[in-house]
Amino acid sequence: MQRVLRWFFIAGVLALSLPFLAGISPEVNAQSSGSIVGEVKYNGTPPAPKVIKVNKDNQACGNEKTSEELVVGANKGIQWAVVSVVGAKGPAPKPAQKPTLDQKGCHFQPHVLLAPVGVGIDILNSDGILHNIHTFSKANPSFNKAQPKFKKVITEKFDKPEVVKIRCDAHSWMSGWVVVQEHPFYAVSDANGSFKIDNVPPGKHKLELWHETLGKVAKDVEVKAGAPTKVTFELTKK
Amino acid sequence: MIRSKFFQAILVLVLAFAFFRYGIRPPAPWSVVYLYMGIVLLAVLVYISSDSDSWRAFLRPIHLVLVDDEKRPIRLLLMVLLPLFLGYYAYSQAAAKVEAPPELRAVHPAPASSISFRGKTIDVQGFENPLRKDAANLRKYVDEGGEIYVKNCMFCHGDNLDGEGPFAHAFSPPPAIFTDPGTIAMLQEAYLFWRIAKGGPGWPKESTPWNSVMPAWEDRLTEEDIWKVIMYLYDATGFQPRRWEANAALIPFPSQGESAGKAVAARVPSSSLRSRRAERGLWSPALAEAQQRGDMNAGKAVYGKKCAICHGEKGDGNGPGASDLVITARMPGTSMPPWKGLPEKDRWNLVAYIKTFTPDLFKGTPKVLDLPKEVPPSKESIVRGKEMYEAIECNKCHGRAGRADGPSAPELKDDWEQPIRPADLTKPWNFRGGESKKEIATRLATGLAGTPMPSFLDSVEKPEDIWHLANYVKSLAPDKPNYATFLRVKKVEGEIPADPGAPFWSQQAPSNFPLAGQVIVDMRNFNPSIDMITVKAVYSSREIAIHLTWNDPTGSRPDPAAKTFADQVVLQFPVKLSEGNERPYVLMGDGSNPVYLLRWSSDGGVGEANATAISNLTPQPAQAVEAKGTGVFADGQYRLVIKRPLQTPDPNDLQFPVGKFFPVAFMAWDGGAGETGSDMSFSSWYYSVLEEPSSKRPYVIPPVVVLVSVAAELLIVRRAQRKARGSVN
Repeated sequence: MQRVLRWFFIAGVLALSLPFLAGISPEVNAQSSGSIVGEVKYNGTPPAPKVIKVNKDNQACGNEKTSEELVVGANKGIQWAVVSVVGAKGPAPKPAQKPTLDQKGCHFQPHVLLAPVGVGIDILNSDGILHNIHTFSKANPSFNKAQPKFKKVITEKFDKPEVVKIRCDAHSWMSGWVVVQEHPFYAVSDANGSFKIDNVPPGKHKLELWHETLGKVAKDVEVKAGAPTKVTFELTKK
Repeated sequence: MIRSKFFQAILVLVLAFAFFRYGIRPPAPWSVVYLYMGIVLLAVLVYISSDSDSWRAFLRPIHLVLVDDEKRPIRLLLMVLLPLFLGYYAYSQAAAKVEAPPELRAVHPAPASSISFRGKTIDVQGFENPLRKDAANLRKYVDEGGEIYVKNCMFCHGDNLDGEGPFAHAFSPPPAIFTDPGTIAMLQEAYLFWRIAKGGPGWPKESTPWNSVMPAWEDRLTEEDIWKVIMYLYDATGFQPRRWEANAALIPFPSQGESAGKAVAARVPSSSLRSRRAERGLWSPALAEAQQRGDMNAGKAVYGKKCAICHGEKGDGNGPGASDLVITARMPGTSMPPWKGLPEKDRWNLVAYIKTFTPDLFKGTPKVLDLPKEVPPSKESIVRGKEMYEAIECNKCHGRAGRADGPSAPELKDDWEQPIRPADLTKPWNFRGGESKKEIATRLATGLAGTPMPSFLDSVEKPEDIWHLANYVKSLAPDKPNYATFLRVKKVEGEIPADPGAPFWSQQAPSNFPLAGQVIVDMRNFNPSIDMITVKAVYSSREIAIHLTWNDPTGSRPDPAAKTFADQVVLQFPVKLSEGNERPYVLMGDGSNPVYLLRWSSDGGVGEANATAISNLTPQPAQAVEAKGTGVFADGQYRLVIKRPLQTPDPNDLQFPVGKFFPVAFMAWDGGAGETGSDMSFSSWYYSVLEEPSSKRPYVIPPVVVLVSVAAELLIVRRAQRKARGSVN
């Protein structure tokens, strides 16, 4: 019995400290906060995704690449849209795992990476050929680092919130994004266009959606404690 | 000894020589020195021979050397050295290298008294710049003139008006140096108008027509445009035009302070005046303490004068010169000129001012980059460098042989999404970041901001690999292109190999000729892909064979849909050789002076053609084409051999003369980069000659000279001695 109780206590301590470990602000917890769940949908007939013929390094890169600048799923859900709570405050979450950006098959994985400010991002080269990480940013210093085949990991961090474009000049089709935030209240949509932002303090908020080709959309929401708030963004080609 | 007339004469000659040789700046040519020395020698002889006592006193030491027994060692020494010296001189004359004939031309020939400009007759004599009468708008005209200058003239005459634009090195005669007091400062504005309107083709005969590549701008600029440019030239150099005396008082000029550029000049007038003087090389900064920090206000004035025309008043790249550069000219990455001409202090001032555009980025203290310890060049280091070159895949952009032909090269873009070419590592003199080993290593370590060149400092296996790579890059090419001044064609016996890769060709001496973008007629090419062609030429009793090598980063893939075309190269000759220096207009001839073209294209092989203008080219029919040739392409480089019989029955062909100079020029198109038609690069006219087989003269004449002079010496000495003995007896 005592054993069972001890395990119970340990589990309780862990459960309570989990939010701390995940870096979520202590003021905001499950009881006093709500969540935002939503979908990003394409309005109209989505254009066919661009297909790029690969003309070099075919062994590592394959013969064709499908552009990820606009990915629309079967139910018209748009992937790789980032939804953030505007003006949110709160310490940047300290993730249990380092954010990782992999270059695999001459392709940035994931296409859009969320990263907290000041946290090291591991940039991997799984391809065994030369890539270069070339960032385009204003708030953070831009850099352009070579990553030859033997350089498996480069670690970089961004100290200011910004949407940073990354490119590999050696493979012109390779492009990706790192969205750096100083608060935890943002999320990227998945293949179905769904996203979820947890632990949002109750009250009125302004949401902002960013998509690399469809631009920015703002929306007002009211979050109630203990309940998910549903939001749908409908986007169309400008 | 000082009393000796002989010694005095020698002293005067030595002093005179020292003065003529080292006392005159810039150094006088040897021919002038010889002439002056001859005059001094005559003057000395006149002085010495003025009375017979001094003449005898002068001759005495010479006489003593000839007869005196005590002077016997000196006599013997002279008798050996003098013939040897004469023999050497005879050898150097007999074996003299073939040089291109000198070009003598009148630099400022008299203009015609009137010219016709777009159908209108303009009297050059006594003509004044009409815009100067509009005193209220002088500043505006000067600024507009600056804009026209940047879009049209800068490519040859340079941003600093110093005749050192990006294409200047490729032309002979070189572009006029406006900052030189010998050019516009001694001419009237009407004279400039004539030169600009009529260009090279308008030179009168005494200036050997057609040799200058200066275009006739009447085709492109309006009358008012030309007057504006002229106003800009005088304003930017600070010179005043010479004026027609009667009108001199009437002509207003922008005042000095005002002309120093934009409104900012009023606040810091001294600096702009300084930069103006620096252009002429009259001022060099000695204020060491100010250099590193830089004064942003002073920098602002320099910026207004030098940079704003392209980069805009706010540094956003929206200056009036920019739209043209970016939109019509594929300029990005290459249009920024080197500003070494600006005093170092002005450059630091500029850095201080430019930082104020984006203050946030420069808040922290800059990181100082520490390069690993330098590795001296060695065989091992170069081998390691090559290994690294392959391991880190430099070839991806720079190509396997470093000729900028890597698979990723065509898609590269700079940070502003403009296409950009990787550096051709076999042409280090073009490196934007500098060609020294340290500059190359720094570039590898830091990358090149704004371009796809990434930083490799943390991405090589060992830090010192940066130096091995730099050593390898340095080993790919000589430091300097060593451009040739003329093309020598050597005589060979037997069959000349048609294969460009034959070992025969690697034994022939190469001549490098620079090519510049064609910016005279539309479509203009401001950023030519091919900037040099290497030529080897030989002839046999039957034919002439020309071996051409040039780097082409794109290879051949004609595809009209993608706006790519066949690669081409052209050897241009006059159809007929004139007796004087006259040549057809270098850009494919002119109405009365057609040119003959030997050409090769990647899709049509070798052909022959005639032209009287770039737009008026007539290929010769297949049955008239006697030239043959083969081209091969590998690793970003073409090699080609074109052969043609020395003599042909075709009156439209040049008949190659042996032992006589004839003009040749080169043109090249990188079709893979979209070059076609007038969008190409070309060279000035050069002289070429089929050298007559080397004679035995250099080995026969000198011994004869030595023998004759020894005999003459013996004769003189014997006579002098006999005479001396006779007088004693």
